[in-house]
Amino acid sequence: MEYFSLKRSTATDKGGTNLSSKVYVRSTKSGKVQKIVRELYLRKDIPCSSNLCRACLDIAPVDFSQKTTPFVLSDTPAGSKDYPNGLYLVPDTNAFLTGMDLFEVETAFHDVIVLQTVLEEVKNRSLPLYHRLIALTKHENKRFYVFFNEFRQETHVPRESGETINDRNDRAVRRAVQWYNEHINQAVKARSKTQTRIPTVVMITDDRDCLRKARADNIPSSTLADFVFGLENADELLDMMSAAQDQREVRSKKTELFYSEHYTISKMMTGVKAGVLHQGIFNVSPYNYLEGSVHVPAFDKSLLILGRENGNRAVSGDVVVVEILPQDQWKAPSTKIIEEETLNKNDNPEVEDGENIVSEKERKALQEEVKRAHGQSTEGRPQPTARVVGIVKRNWRQYVGHIDRDSVRTTSKSSRQQQMVFLIPMDKRVPKIRIRTRQAGELLGQRVLATIDSWDRDSRYPMGHFVRSLGELESKGAETEALLLEWDVQYKPFPKTVLDCLPAEGHDWKVPASMDDPGWKGRKDLRDLVVCSIDPPGCVDIDDALHARQLPNGNFEVGVHIADVSHFVKPNNAMDKEASQRGTTVYLVDKRIDMLPMLLGTDLCSLKPYVERYAFSVIWEVTPDADIVNSHFTKSVIRSREAFSYEQAQIRIDDATQQDDLTAGMRTLLMLSKKLKQKRYDAGALNLASPEVKVQTESETSDPVDVQTKRLLDTNSLVEEFMLLANISVAAKNHSAFPQTALLRRHGAPPKTNFEELSNQLKVKKGLELRTDSSKALADSLDTCVQDGEPFFNTLVRIMATRCMMSAEYFCAGTQAYPEFRHYGLASEIYTHFTSPIRRYADLEAHRQLAAAIDYEPLDASLHSKAKLEGVCKNINVRHRNAQMAGRASIEYYVGQALKGKDITEDGFVMKVFSNGFVVFVPRFGIESLIRLRDLATPEPEAEFDGENYVLSVKGGVGREVELFQKVRVRITDQIEESTGKRKVKLTLV
Amino acid sequence: MAPNQPQQVTLSPAELSFLRSTLVQSPPIRFDHTKGPKDFRSMRAEYDVLPGANGSARIALEDGTEALVGVKAEVEKSQRRPSPDARGNTLSVAAGDAEMRDTDAENHGKGKGQNSWIETSVEIPGFRDDDPLPVFLASMLTESLLASGELKDRLYINSRFHWKLYIDILLLSPPLSYPLALLSMTTHLALLTSRLPALKSEKDEDPLFDDDWDAAVFLYPKNEGKSLFGAAEDKPPVIVLAMAVGPNIIFDPCMEELAVADAVLAVACANATSSSTRARIVSIRTIDPPSHLTPPGVPNSMNSATGGTVPASSADALTQRELLATSGVWTPPRGGMKRALISQVVKIVVEEGGVAEEVISALQAIELG
Repeated sequence: MEYFSLKRSTATDKGGTNLSSKVYVRSTKSGKVQKIVRELYLRKDIPCSSNLCRACLDIAPVDFSQKTTPFVLSDTPAGSKDYPNGLYLVPDTNAFLTGMDLFEVETAFHDVIVLQTVLEEVKNRSLPLYHRLIALTKHENKRFYVFFNEFRQETHVPRESGETINDRNDRAVRRAVQWYNEHINQAVKARSKTQTRIPTVVMITDDRDCLRKARADNIPSSTLADFVFGLENADELLDMMSAAQDQREVRSKKTELFYSEHYTISKMMTGVKAGVLHQGIFNVSPYNYLEGSVHVPAFDKSLLILGRENGNRAVSGDVVVVEILPQDQWKAPSTKIIEEETLNKNDNPEVEDGENIVSEKERKALQEEVKRAHGQSTEGRPQPTARVVGIVKRNWRQYVGHIDRDSVRTTSKSSRQQQMVFLIPMDKRVPKIRIRTRQAGELLGQRVLATIDSWDRDSRYPMGHFVRSLGELESKGAETEALLLEWDVQYKPFPKTVLDCLPAEGHDWKVPASMDDPGWKGRKDLRDLVVCSIDPPGCVDIDDALHARQLPNGNFEVGVHIADVSHFVKPNNAMDKEASQRGTTVYLVDKRIDMLPMLLGTDLCSLKPYVERYAFSVIWEVTPDADIVNSHFTKSVIRSREAFSYEQAQIRIDDATQQDDLTAGMRTLLMLSKKLKQKRYDAGALNLASPEVKVQTESETSDPVDVQTKRLLDTNSLVEEFMLLANISVAAKNHSAFPQTALLRRHGAPPKTNFEELSNQLKVKKGLELRTDSSKALADSLDTCVQDGEPFFNTLVRIMATRCMMSAEYFCAGTQAYPEFRHYGLASEIYTHFTSPIRRYADLEAHRQLAAAIDYEPLDASLHSKAKLEGVCKNINVRHRNAQMAGRASIEYYVGQALKGKDITEDGFVMKVFSNGFVVFVPRFGIESLIRLRDLATPEPEAEFDGENYVLSVKGGVGREVELFQKVRVRITDQIEESTGKRKVKLTLV
Repeated sequence: MAPNQPQQVTLSPAELSFLRSTLVQSPPIRFDHTKGPKDFRSMRAEYDVLPGANGSARIALEDGTEALVGVKAEVEKSQRRPSPDARGNTLSVAAGDAEMRDTDAENHGKGKGQNSWIETSVEIPGFRDDDPLPVFLASMLTESLLASGELKDRLYINSRFHWKLYIDILLLSPPLSYPLALLSMTTHLALLTSRLPALKSEKDEDPLFDDDWDAAVFLYPKNEGKSLFGAAEDKPPVIVLAMAVGPNIIFDPCMEELAVADAVLAVACANATSSSTRARIVSIRTIDPPSHLTPPGVPNSMNSATGGTVPASSADALTQRELLATSGVWTPPRGGMKRALISQVVKIVVEEGGVAEEVISALQAIELG
């Protein structure tokens, strides 16, 4: 009987096999479980990418232009003591996981071969580390090469029966190293008979078993620590290794556990699906590090998480799963300020004996809280509390902080002894991080960047490692970098790939003279319009310009002209990707971190005066009553006649002697803008306030000289009104053209509960009523919140009201129902950002959509995809917020510097009252600071807190009452905190 | 019966009569004279032929019939049933009850399986999927798999999830002989080598599986260290065809032999895990043999051409044929089977070293070899 097998035989063509397969189980999101068989076609043309090798150069695959990718690894790699002929490194997965910061060091770790096996394992274990590794492989000077060992016939290792995946992967790494050594040997021999300098390929692994096997097979290998030890500045480098692993070994004998175990992923997911457990992001209160909250979709109000024990090793920002505690453990939110540094000052990072998860002091603090909760009625009603049972996703990042002086045993700079120290993060919501370092002496008084590696059940604080030092505390460079890092602002210079996308003409680029040039296609020639721009003084990235003129029919033509950035930044090129990553330009006091390269932002796109520029124009016909007759969108070429600052423009408008077209146009604009503004307020737009101050710096050194609150001129609101109008018009146009994918901006109506506290405070303290049923009602009732003789009171209430609101967000039209589009603050049905494409990515996307909506150019595919746009929105929402935060932090720092050594007495207002302190806001400097009871007198005076009336009666020698909204005189000094060496603004009551 | 019976036998009444007379001899001489009554036709078998399936097997018989079976398993959410003991649970102390459940992990899934968790489809070239033959074959195969109740219990993951097993049976050749036994054996081999991803989650959590296929567990686990009690491991049932002709019982009849069968039995058997015998019967069904449709021979006495008289009525014809039953002229059998014969079949199947044990261990050997 003739018989043939259906199976693809692997036995028959042994040796010549170029086919292998990989079988695994895939679980899909919908709960399906599939067996997946992937066939692997093994090849021989994957190059080793060493510049020593000629053979690989011949076989390397070529691209469409018949070029091979240039080889990565140097022909003369650096050597070390043990391998004087130079070496290529092949780290295994764990080496990358524990030492990623090491590999990123500029001065060491060049010529590294990243095996595909390792890369995939890194990807499975940690996505952030994987992205960092990928970034390294793209870094030109580091010479990291990804070798696809699984696809190369010689280095492919089929899994043996009974072998675990890890063992197989280790074997694959060893096999690749072995092959590389043989290959390099041959390559060098083929090059010249006499050459003796043959680099060694060394495997870096910490796995003992793997090391033993490698030695048995004569494969050069080393542990990461041993290798680093042989390098220069080994001390610093060794500190940068992740502490996650050695920690385990050192403390394996200890069994004392501080935290309860986390649930398994499947148990958590089942619980969340069943509605028994809840998932949300863990946030820690900035006033009380022991109080966290998790907002979960199931409830309106956030769940409280009290104490470290219930926090169960979650760090602010982590995605956690929580379980609600029984009702007898419910509690009112804290009215007390609890700061970690004051409670746990004396913790010893080295010794953990007798350590409890809740230290005695912490416990006492909590007890007092509970007592308070029981005695309260309306305001402090007990709220549901919960405890963290598991962590879905760690959002650990790099944290900036400083070394706690008290935790350092020997401060001698010469001592190379390794010791455990605490790093106190700048972010008060993050717990202290234990760090093992050999350079404690040097790191004292420095801004230090560190990461968290692990937080085990038997450790009270998370374990981390040192990444690098940013410089001296309080030095401008270090502090600026620190806040950029804290707010995750990408501040590195633009890479070459991005700069390659700029027009080749550079600064000489001009609007083409010939109207036949493709650049003119579809563009209107608006060069004859009398256009001008009005911006803050010193502004170089001019996004917008305006014009207005009277039409024969008595109406006005008003135009807003926006820099045509989308002409220069095409979708999906490197520059576009970089811009979408950065999301926004970040403005610091002394520095601007651009979203787009300088050439575009400050020159080619910027609507500078006297030169022709491409623009995207929105032109309306409006009646003298500021009603819009029609609107029109077009790409255009304009020539701005003048670039004014707000002040200059104001002077010009006010100067009756000026009667030229330009001034007349501005006067028209001003007249119309006032009408527009009134209409907006009539519709219920809010006039909100945030404390805005401007730091004046010395032009040379950019040292702060003075702090001023910003002055608002009519011209500010002139520009603002027309920008709002343009944004609204464009939003409507984009939405009608792309009902699913238009990128819009919304501002959700705040839930009523947000205003509960403020409206209660106003009622109790001032007998005022805050109505919050609509934005109109709110706007009206905010107007009534005035106090005779105290003009600032209204502003204060507005500042506090602003904090009760939701933050506005970008979104993709298809993800929300039309009524949800509403912008609460502006009282507009629909809104987007269109007017600042140089500094905001959202505007750039809106430009592209509008260009497609008016049939100027086809829409890029990425703007058709709802999923992609949602990703973009998510990112720019975060970037936007971070940029604001970074800007504020920068101002805060400079205000602090400006006040250095001064002693000023100013007016302040009480914004918040705790049982052991209160928050005072000083409008003059826009600073908000805490005054604790113990700052008032030593010893800390007794005080009685009346939570219902927001009064704190301080007894003893001080003997005064502090109540909410009270105007107080405060003395502002600065002070260096002893434990930290950090300068802080200090307020005291006068 | 419906027209789509397995291919009609094209033997003349005389040939049928001859065939039958050899088979009723003692010992019978089979169509393939080298084989005894209990001998099976030789076959080639292999398993794991379909890389993407959870289990698969292919068997080719010497006459050219060939079957391919693929087993696919999918996780499915169980329908919540208001079970009578659920009410009992709420009454008992919750904690104690939970403990109880932990201890009977041994009996994991016992009696919790449902018939709908196994879906079998049979495809035969030239037949529509709603033709009687494939439908009938599929239901018989499903019936045998469900009858023992063990397979469906193996599919239990937890109270909220179970595996759903799709058994796709494909006959690659035309159905030369009645293909039930072949399909059943192929299915048996496929199930025997089927593996399910290893479960990582516990109890009633949403199931989470190990992504390493090598860690997948066999649907029918192998006792490697030979269990202490000597209890044979559980295996899927297999159907054997037995045919009665006269006093003789013949196993695994070929197409021609079926054409003269008095009766055909499909016996589904599985190895016994506890009883003294090595195998047990899971289900028995009679199958309408094709012999019923064979044309009867016309005896000389009824043939006018040979001087006989054609019977006047059909009733008359029947009476005459009845009388001639032993004369050697071919008359299609009337069907029916003596009790004694059935018990004999059962005995031959389940006895120590009987057909069931032989077949099951032979299929097991394929996997081991």
